[in-house]
Amino acid sequence: MRRFPWDILLTLLAGLGLGLAYAWVISPLRVVASDPIALRADFKDQFRSAIAAAFVATSNLPRTEARLSLLGDSDVVEALNSQAQRMIASGEFAQADQLATLAIALENDNVLAVLPTHTSDDAGTIEPESSTIFPQPSEDLPFQLTETPEVFDTPVAETQGVETQAVVLNPTPRPTRTPVPTLGAPFVLIAQDPVCDSTFPEGLLQVVVFNSTRRQVTGAKIIITWENGEDQFFTGLKPEIGNGYADFVMSPNITYTLRLAAGSDIASELIAPTCQNPSGEAFLGGIKLTFQQP
Amino acid sequence: MPPVTCPDIYMKSSRWLFILIALAAGFGMGLAYGWYVDPVEFFDLTPDTLRADYKADYVLMVAEAYRGEQDPGLAARRLAILGSRSPAAIASEGLVFARENGFADSDIALIQELVTAMQAWSGINP
Repeated sequence: MRRFPWDILLTLLAGLGLGLAYAWVISPLRVVASDPIALRADFKDQFRSAIAAAFVATSNLPRTEARLSLLGDSDVVEALNSQAQRMIASGEFAQADQLATLAIALENDNVLAVLPTHTSDDAGTIEPESSTIFPQPSEDLPFQLTETPEVFDTPVAETQGVETQAVVLNPTPRPTRTPVPTLGAPFVLIAQDPVCDSTFPEGLLQVVVFNSTRRQVTGAKIIITWENGEDQFFTGLKPEIGNGYADFVMSPNITYTLRLAAGSDIASELIAPTCQNPSGEAFLGGIKLTFQQP
Repeated sequence: MPPVTCPDIYMKSSRWLFILIALAAGFGMGLAYGWYVDPVEFFDLTPDTLRADYKADYVLMVAEAYRGEQDPGLAARRLAILGSRSPAAIASEGLVFARENGFADSDIALIQELVTAMQAWSGINP
């Protein structure tokens, strides 16, 4: 009676294990056609910044949404806002503005908040005539890996036929041209309250900015002026208090005027009030301003 | 002790042959599975690994932004994440892809403008 060839079977399994170890650990295939969703976090940030900059220049929201979807953020607006905060913290105010502008536009699902930086001469040529639509990242579209590592350095023009077939170019209807600069709806000053809390710094001017859906707006530029002086500050620098929160310390006996750079009601005649603590001692109080987009 | 016969020697050598064949077959199956059926999935990749169409769209984004900002330095920094080549070369590659894949004329014009700006910015005549 012939016995079962266990030795051969075991050798086959050992070879299988060696092969897998080689393919997965020792020499995995190099990636040459990845999706943006697989990018490292800092590169995703740069990708997002470029998307926001392009959006500010073109106002093409459908294309922007398609691009953002490639990054696979679970909450796109939140991702934009948090990145805007990081950029404000690192002093990159212009890019933070672009991200915040895009976040507002996405929340409002329109382009009301966009303030293009180009001249009117440029506007005609950047009007989108078509849209490049990319497929959504899905389980059905995993990373495309080359069959041979050598393909990595092959010029794009030669490899695209093999590895790239995902671009679907569908002309989209030409958007209606807005006849005037598409500024966002002005923020309305919905509350102006004196704050007499001795635990706060004296003369603290607090500003909270909400959008139309009552979400706090990150990166909103605030301009405050007083006699012979002007300063600017941004919401979002103190996310532990609120994404739409910003503050400024007022000096006593100086009258301030404040507005949002994106367009808002003007809060004028702002003077730090004099308050009294429970023991009757006077101290300089603060003011809290709340803006909201209608 | 029984004498060694020819059939015994033949059996032993053929068995070793089978074992070697099994080892090679297993190794081959492992390679095939690990490279083609279920390859390693990578995360935290760099943008130079992006698929060509995504790279081209990124170049288009930079071109759109450049049209508004007119800041070639900023555009060059944005393009630089796509690899170590010159920004003009990266933008040119995007332009080639855009032309060959039917991008809208307005998009191609934007990328062309970016290419020209990058060539001028890097000191190379267009």
